Amino acid sequence: MSAMTPRFTVGVNKANGRRPCREPVPFQEILPLKLKDSVSGKGDRTSEVACLQDMAVMLACFKKHDFNQALCSKEIGAFQTCYTNFMIDHTKRKNMESTMAGTKSKLPYRTLNKILKKYPSA
Amino acid sequence: MSLFGVLRKLPSFNAIHCHINFLGRIARQQPYSMYQPFVKEPTYSIEKLDQLIESGEAKKREFVPVKAARSDHNVSVFHDELTSKFINMVMEKGHKEVATKLVETAYMKIKQMQLAKYYKATTDAERAEIELNPIVIFHKALENCKPVLQLTPIKRGGATYQVPIPITENRARFLAMKWMILESREKERTVHFPERLAYELLEAFNNTGKVVKRKQDLHKQCETNRAYAHYRWG
Repeated sequence: MSAMTPRFTVGVNKANGRRPCREPVPFQEILPLKLKDSVSGKGDRTSEVACLQDMAVMLACFKKHDFNQALCSKEIGAFQTCYTNFMIDHTKRKNMESTMAGTKSKLPYRTLNKILKKYPSA
Repeated sequence: MSLFGVLRKLPSFNAIHCHINFLGRIARQQPYSMYQPFVKEPTYSIEKLDQLIESGEAKKREFVPVKAARSDHNVSVFHDELTSKFINMVMEKGHKEVATKLVETAYMKIKQMQLAKYYKATTDAERAEIELNPIVIFHKALENCKPVLQLTPIKRGGATYQVPIPITENRARFLAMKWMILESREKERTVHFPERLAYELLEAFNNTGKVVKRKQDLHKQCETNRAYAHYRWG
């Protein structure tokens, strides 16, 4: 961290807290002036809420029957099928994303990173 | 069938990472596996093989390379996949024989207890009610212990909420087995693991006992926290 703080490269005697500094302020290259070869995937993560309705129905059934699972088998089955269907869609979508998307304007970050690694700028 | 096409070259630690990236594979899909990704798991159950031959799937799989058989893989009629998974979870430090012996002893105890009830029973109806097969009891007990949904911690605005989310089949099975083993390991000097396991399995078979209670406590907590699930996360 101390390597990243700006170092005052002007002469030590010129540094004075009582008067404003004179232009031009010397440029300090703290990080290399180069683009990274990858795109960040941070903002990409949307936590998909799945099967809320089925879950609510099932929990209501649980409450009604005092958590006796045998009496709620229909709701539990519906919840589980909802989730399996959701997972099938989810994996399908993820597999489609990881391959080279054709004419989409906004490619997912994994695809972009693969392309950037393949064709480095340097 | 030569192994050279099937096995990867022995990689050094750095080489694994490079290898994965080079082939464009998603990392973490068995990074230390010595097999190439196209090598499939073997099907060793005779039933399943017959099914594959009948349905015509076997023709498609004729020339697909298959991994070597594991020592767990058993064609016997007495082989139970769920039991071998359970034995693996009971096992510590690789002592498979000890783990097998513990679980087999537990099954024997279950059989003995059920037989005692059977001989004590007076009417035929009573006798028909009693389940003698410990494997069946084990399966039913695990089914009764499997949770239907789980809690996951989600951090929002400095606080961590326990949010109920759906659960996969594998995770539910794992939790059931884990809870069963933990309950059977509770401290009581004179009562050893197989005996405790036998008791716990029988209780779970009857939908009572500590493990089923633990599952139901989880469900109750999910029910109280159901409001959190409705937040639009993301």
